[in-house]
Formats: sequence, C-alpha cells, structure tokens
Amino acid sequence: MSWLERLAARAPVPVYPLLGIGGERVLYELALAGRVARVDSPRHASVLLVAGHVPAQHHEALKRVHDQLPRPFATLWFRSQPLPGLENARRADDLATLADELVALHRELHTGQRGSSPRLLPDEPPNPWQGLGDDGHGGEGMMGGTPYGRPMAMNMQDDIRDGLTLDSLTFRLGPFYPLLPPGLAAEITLQGDVIQSWTSLSSAYPRALDAIFQTAREQPVSIAELELARARHHLRQLYLALRLAGLESLGLQALRLARGLTPASRINGLRRRLMRSGFFNLAALDGGVLDAEMARRLGGPAARAAGIDADLRRDDAHYRRLGFSPVLSWGSDTRARWQQALGEIEQSLALARRAVDEGDPLTAAPGNVETPCGPWRDRPSPAAGGCLDELLPGLEWDSALATIASLDLAPVSASPPPGEASAESASASSGSHEEGAP
Amino acid sequence: MNVLPALALVSLTLIAGGYLVAVADRLIAGACGWPRQGNPWLAPLARGAWLYRQDANVTEAPDRPAWRLAPALYLALAALGLALVPWSPTLIASNLATGVVLWGSLEALATVAIFLHGWSANAPLALIGGYRYVALGLSYILISMFVLIGVVLPAESLQFSQVVATQGELWNVVRQPLGLPLFLIVGLGLTFWGPLNLADSTDLAGGTASEVSGPPRLVWEIARMAMLVAFSAIAATAFLGGWQGPWLPGPLWLALKMLAILLALLWLGRVLPRLAPERCVTLMWVVLLPLSFVDLVWAGLEAL
Repeated sequence: MSWLERLAARAPVPVYPLLGIGGERVLYELALAGRVARVDSPRHASVLLVAGHVPAQHHEALKRVHDQLPRPFATLWFRSQPLPGLENARRADDLATLADELVALHRELHTGQRGSSPRLLPDEPPNPWQGLGDDGHGGEGMMGGTPYGRPMAMNMQDDIRDGLTLDSLTFRLGPFYPLLPPGLAAEITLQGDVIQSWTSLSSAYPRALDAIFQTAREQPVSIAELELARARHHLRQLYLALRLAGLESLGLQALRLARGLTPASRINGLRRRLMRSGFFNLAALDGGVLDAEMARRLGGPAARAAGIDADLRRDDAHYRRLGFSPVLSWGSDTRARWQQALGEIEQSLALARRAVDEGDPLTAAPGNVETPCGPWRDRPSPAAGGCLDELLPGLEWDSALATIASLDLAPVSASPPPGEASAESASASSGSHEEGAP
Repeated sequence: MNVLPALALVSLTLIAGGYLVAVADRLIAGACGWPRQGNPWLAPLARGAWLYRQDANVTEAPDRPAWRLAPALYLALAALGLALVPWSPTLIASNLATGVVLWGSLEALATVAIFLHGWSANAPLALIGGYRYVALGLSYILISMFVLIGVVLPAESLQFSQVVATQGELWNVVRQPLGLPLFLIVGLGLTFWGPLNLADSTDLAGGTASEVSGPPRLVWEIARMAMLVAFSAIAATAFLGGWQGPWLPGPLWLALKMLAILLALLWLGRVLPRLAPERCVTLMWVVLLPLSFVDLVWAGLEAL
C-alpha cells in the first residue's frame, strides 16, 4: 500500500445520503459527527449511504444515483435492503455507530481491503441520440432534434419575469436530490435560473415524526414531552434551511440545541445570531407567498404564518389551562414561515416549562393531534402535490428551494422506523441543553 | 526578474498559500461550531490524496477539452495575478508598467473560465452556476475598476511597485477608507466565496463543480484557493502598503498582510448567508457601484 493510499484513507469521508422512507434522521447524526462530510452531489462522494426503505418504483433511480459515484466507492445500507447485485455491500442498523461504519468503509476502500462497488447499469445513454448532428455542442446538433431523448435548450417560451428571454432548459430532478424532500421528483423548465414551469412527478415519502405524536392519537401524553418534540422538529427543519442558505454553523447550533433539548432550553442566542448574520435580510426568503386558500389547505405553521388562526391545541382544555393561544405571523412567504417557526419553538419551550411547573399535565384526550406539520394526516395533503406547481414558477432557483425547505409537504407516517423512538429518547436524555437555563 | 526565479516565487506562494487557506478555513470552521474533521493540518493533504485517487467522471456529451481546461485556466489566472505582486523593491516576478490593467483583465477573464467550467459539463445545475456567475461578474468588475483607478491616482502609475511606493507615508486603506471594504467584496465575488458563492453553491449541489470528480476537481479546488491567495496579495499591495513596514523584512510584511486579508475573507465566508442572486445584483448596482464612484471622487480630490 502506497503512502498516497494511506493518506487518502485518512481523509474526512465524503458521504452522499440517499434518503428512503424514514431516513432523514441520519442527516442530523452525520452533521454533528466529525470525520464525515455530507456532500450534495454523488460525484463528490466516496460512500453512498442509503438510509431507509426505498420503494420498488424508485429502484431504477437509485441505480442511476449509485452508478454516478466515481470509483472507488462503497455503499452502506442503513435500515435498508441492498439491491440485487450489491449483496456484498455493508449494512447497518445502529444510528450511534453509523459514522464509525462510514469511516471504516472508506478506509477499507483505500487500503485495498474492499473493492469498489460494481456498476449496476450499462454505461450508455438512457436514450439513443436523436439530434441532427453528432455532438451536443455546435454544428447541427444545436439546431434541434431530441438528443438522448431530451429536447435541446431552445427558446420555446417567453420569459415570465423581466422579458429577457433565454433558452428554456428542461430537466428532471429527484426523487433523491438531497435538497428536495426525499421521494419528491419534478420536471422543471428554467430560463436562466428562473423557474418557468414545475411539474411534480412523485410525492415526498411519508415522514416519521417523533413517536410521541403517534402515541398522542391513542392516549393522553405529557404536554411537556409533546412540546419538546415539536420544538425539536422545528429546530431540525431550521438546520436544513440554514445549511441551504450557506449558514451551516448556525444550523449546527440549532441541531445541537435539538439534541439536548429540555424545558430549560432557550433559543435567544440562536435567534440573536440569526438576526446578526443577516439570514432574514440577505438570504433568498422573499418567495413562496401562499394565498389564503392554499395556506388553509396546507395547515399547521404554514397557515399560521399566513395569519390563519388554526391550531388543534386550542381545543384541548389542558393546553388552554396553560394559557395556550396560537402564535401567528403575517406575510405568508418563506421569511414569515421561518419567523413563525422560531416563534413556535419559543412557545413550545415556554409551554413545556409551564407544564413542568404545574405538575406535568397530560393532553386532555387522545384523538386528532396538531403535529409540527399541522393536523395529523396519513396521506399527502391535497394541497401538497399541486402546491409547488403553482407556487414555484417565476421564482429564482435559490428562492424556490428555500420555499420548499420552509414547507412540510410530506405525509406523516403512522409509526417511526424501528429503533427511532428509543434512539430519540436516549439522545435526549444523554444530551445537555446548550443555551442558558433559568 | 529572470524567468526561473519568478516561476519559483509564484509557485511557492501558490502552494504554501493554498495549503494555508485550506488549513485556516478548517480552523475557522471549527471555531464557528463545525465538528472537527480530523487534524486540520493533515486533512487538506488527505483530501487531496483522496481526490487524486478518485476517478475523473464523464458526463453525457461534455465539451471535454473545455471542461478539463477551465480549472487550469482559472489557476493560471491566479498565478498571473500573483506574478504582479512586489515582495520588496526588487523582488517582483513581473514588474509590469501596466500591472493594474492586467489585473483588471484577469478579473474579466475569470468570468470566462468559470462560465466555461459550468457550461462545458453539459449538465443543468452546472450550467445554472455558470449563468449566475456571468450575471454577477459584470457587477463586481465595474466596482473593481473604479476602486483600482482610485488606487493608481495618487501613484500616477499603473505599476503595482509604484502603488506600494506611494504608500510609504500613508496606506491607501486610510487615505481612501471606502476602497478596501469595496475591494474585499470584489474579492468574494472573484473567488465566488461565502456570501457571493452563487456559482458553486449548495442549492446547485456544487454548481459548476457539481459534476466534477477526481483530479480535475482537485485542480479546481486548488485554483479557487490560489485565487484567494492572489487576490489577498493584490489587496495587501493596493491598500495595506504591500511590503512596507518597520523592523521585519518586506516579504514577511506582505505575507502577514495577505494572511490578514485571507482570514477576513474566510471568516466572512463562514458567518454570512449566501446572498439571493437578484438581491446581490441589486446591491452591487444600486449601493456598491455608487459607493465606488464616491471612492473615486474622494481619491481624485485627495490627489489634487
């Protein structure tokens, strides 16, 4: 083994997370783990981490992502079944040792103990060349035809923003693009970086919330615990949005806070740093304005960020006794939704503190639950699918992705994946709250 | 200076400076709350070794020569910029009489190299990254021109050695207080770093570099660091008195000033969000460009 191989084996491990159903949790663990670096392009990865169950209809897409990793690379299947042809791939089920497994895999790959993962698809274009020339650049190929089954970037539509017409570029993204919710796929037409049209092709996978929300549908649960789980969910969503906005250090602060959340936790420091960094003023948060009807159909924080006073907790007598009334924002754009999220985190922590002070009351009755994404629903909201198709045209790419990050588009899964609930409670009890206790 | 010593000087600065950028960025990330990614002094070398060993992938029908040449072109622009920097009254790789003009042309050519990198991959996200850089490029290049004209006015010369010589009494950072802050913003744009990283951004999964792997990506990353080093050297020369300073040798003074500029850029890159492209262009044309006019008028009055 050469010194170069030994050196390469010691590099921080670039991991491309391909998320199936219930796989989101790995993002939060990897973000806080040293020695592992999450990357957003399969071209930049050494290890493909398949986390959660991938439905059969997306196996072809999975194979395409798999084959995009440059050699040498390996795959790790976390709570997931390797595809045929990858029987020798490593599997893992324990979230606590996931980072160690990834590091070990990378080392084995570069020290010759493991070969690169085999290709699953033939190395040829998915569709035959149907252009007019023999190359994609210049010559007759630029003049039309449908090379490799896709239309050329031709000027087919007027610009919908400022009249400066550019060539329209149509492509498909998803279901494993890491900056969209897992499972969501779309056909997109751009002019420059402005979205001309967005057609959703598949919905986001169901999302596993903290087990306590499922329990709350069946029996009364501790209000303090329920509210901590709600705050934790919003903090994790905030991490994803901050990472997208280029503020990963603040996102990591939110994640650390989520990991050690207790009723005594405060987010004053995080809010202050967010304001000082210019997140609300400089980042692409202007877009994604929901009209009242769409906001009402999406429900939850998205509706409350549009000034709609809708929250099932209001119907719970024990919540009312704690002085609950919904936090509302006005504006209904991406900025308003993140201000709403911060407000709801603060409210949840305040409710948890008050509940602890008053003897830790339970919810009044099981039944319909206000989850962090709105009223519990097992199936996608009727608004969720078409919402993006209406909302995104006219937005710049940055603004469109920030809009998607601020919306909960996935249905809620009835139960968390195996091991999720225990891992959640273990990490919460072992963590310590980061910001000042009273 | 003869060709070989000049080449050695530029190469040494690029290698040492690029490595230092990689280490400093990791140290700053650690201070900002990132989990530790191994030994910060070893990690850049290990990452370089990993990229060197990784296969260089190919997309569907790329413009292969342009795709492979773009990183080398950007690196060459950084090296050319660094060659203009005086390390002492005599230690200058290329003491060009029109050095400031050449630097301006390098900034413009960087737009070509970055767009080429995005366009030639023949992939949508890389192409959008290229588009974005072109949209941004013109905005910051104009600011850069006005700020640099402000610097050459008191020197009455387009030669960087003369620009340094006229800062013996008073550095330009004091003489023209708007100049350095504006030029730092130009630097973030030229190196598409942190808040102005619209070309290789997270929302585009790496933008112009989203489809690149292996040795070409290693060259691209080295080129980006080299450009940070070259820009820091030019900024230190134009505004912080270059090699001038008491007690220490001139080259050491310049290295320290370059380090200060580098740390400022790297820190800004870690603590500011990426600007929305539309807001970025508006900010450049509506706020910063008029400010660069003010800087120029200020420099003109001061020169009278």
